[in-house]
Amino acid sequence: MKIEPPIIDAHALLGAEYHLKLDPVELLRRMDAHMVETAIARPMGAELAVFNTEGNNRVLKAHPRIRGMAAANPWFGGKAIEELKRCRDLGAVGLFLHPSRQGFMPTDDLVRPLLDFAVEAGWPVMFHTGSYVQSDILALGEVARKYPGLNFIAGFGGFTDMWFELPGLFAEAPNLYLDASVMWSDAIEQIVRERGESRVLFGSAEPRNCYAAGLKMFERLDVNDQQMRAILSANAKRIFRLP
Amino acid sequence: MRIIDFHTHLQDRWFLRPLPSETQFLDGMDRCGVEVSCIYTIMGFYGNCERENNQLANYARAHPKRIIPFATVDPKLGKPAVEELERCLSNPVFRGVKFHNWLQAFAPSMARETMIEILRCCARHDAPVVFHDGTPPYATTFQIAAMTRWVPEAKIVLGHGGLADYVYPAGQLLRDMPNLYICFCGPKAGDLPYLVEMAGADKVLFGSDFGFSDWKMLAGRLDDVIESGLDNASIEKILHGNAEQLLHLKERPL
Repeated sequence: MKIEPPIIDAHALLGAEYHLKLDPVELLRRMDAHMVETAIARPMGAELAVFNTEGNNRVLKAHPRIRGMAAANPWFGGKAIEELKRCRDLGAVGLFLHPSRQGFMPTDDLVRPLLDFAVEAGWPVMFHTGSYVQSDILALGEVARKYPGLNFIAGFGGFTDMWFELPGLFAEAPNLYLDASVMWSDAIEQIVRERGESRVLFGSAEPRNCYAAGLKMFERLDVNDQQMRAILSANAKRIFRLP
Repeated sequence: MRIIDFHTHLQDRWFLRPLPSETQFLDGMDRCGVEVSCIYTIMGFYGNCERENNQLANYARAHPKRIIPFATVDPKLGKPAVEELERCLSNPVFRGVKFHNWLQAFAPSMARETMIEILRCCARHDAPVVFHDGTPPYATTFQIAAMTRWVPEAKIVLGHGGLADYVYPAGQLLRDMPNLYICFCGPKAGDLPYLVEMAGADKVLFGSDFGFSDWKMLAGRLDDVIESGLDNASIEKILHGNAEQLLHLKERPL
């Protein structure tokens, strides 16, 4: 199926982490090259784990076409909440948490104030999921059950070796959405088939993945026009409350 | 460009879930321009290795120019596993070995003596050994790398190059360990230049996991290489040149 705009990238990364680097100018260049209208970015590396203010400024002040998910390490306690308030005032559209990088379990009590703030701000919360222990996607499932009124996004969709938990988890947690940025076709198609297209978001995972490869993968999905439009833009618009 | 897929599975099912048939598998290869696939079992990771190895050999006999089988054995069995491996590798149709420690439920250190015998057997036959990596608790990238030191003459391949969360250390290990290779099967386009920068393009092979899923997985994994921004010479090595060497395709054409 042909990919057509508008395209909203629900998960891009700005900053530097290990071998990965991406700045706003380069992200915009890549967005333009692939007809991506808006990208939702979040910090990475040290700016995700420790220097949250710097990382949040990077994503929130990048460009009007780049919207930001705010990052705050829950271990900072009250200071994390203050940082989230600042980010809300700067126009953040969601909260991003990375249990492995930030060193907590999704079910830890110390996360609750941040989730309560997300409820108050009307934000969805994207958790990185994938590696066992802290980023166990089933731990996110437990949190989603405790906050039925809050939308959660499984960042990276449990990539990779907890992918087989997705169908059962998505059946049980109606407030859980899939960031499909690094997933493969039939794992995405299964969620669409069993739970509907409203549960899947296109993401690029730039700079770890890339628009060129990611969009080709989406183009091959066995979905109809309406489903594709939902995945490429309508779902992100609704969940992140974009204008 | 010639493409050799170093990491596929050809099996009719995974438990009760149907998988691409032999015909669909070959159609997928054709559709994506893959000339040769190294095929592994899936159900053989749970038992009946001998039967499954024989089935893989049958596929290769039916498609001798397209299919190269990799045997598997269960190291938990001890000596019988080494004997089954010797049986397979004495058959020229087999050119490699695959372990899936996670599904096979062993950490290399749990079967250390047998694994050393197995790796020595593979080294004698100059057969590369692919291990699933990137998944705790039996198949972390570090567990595979640690074992690589036990038999330095064996050629060991990280079947997923660190997969999701171990890619950065996989690059370091690849650089530091001369007998360690990576099958680029799972990490994404932005990871590949890093792996090549760390150890050179000579130690990275293309793999897709096709067969575990449909042709779209193969197409997507190819895109991970093609869209990585690497130069053509490196891509040529990754898509076929390095596999040709490890599989001795020039000395022993299919």
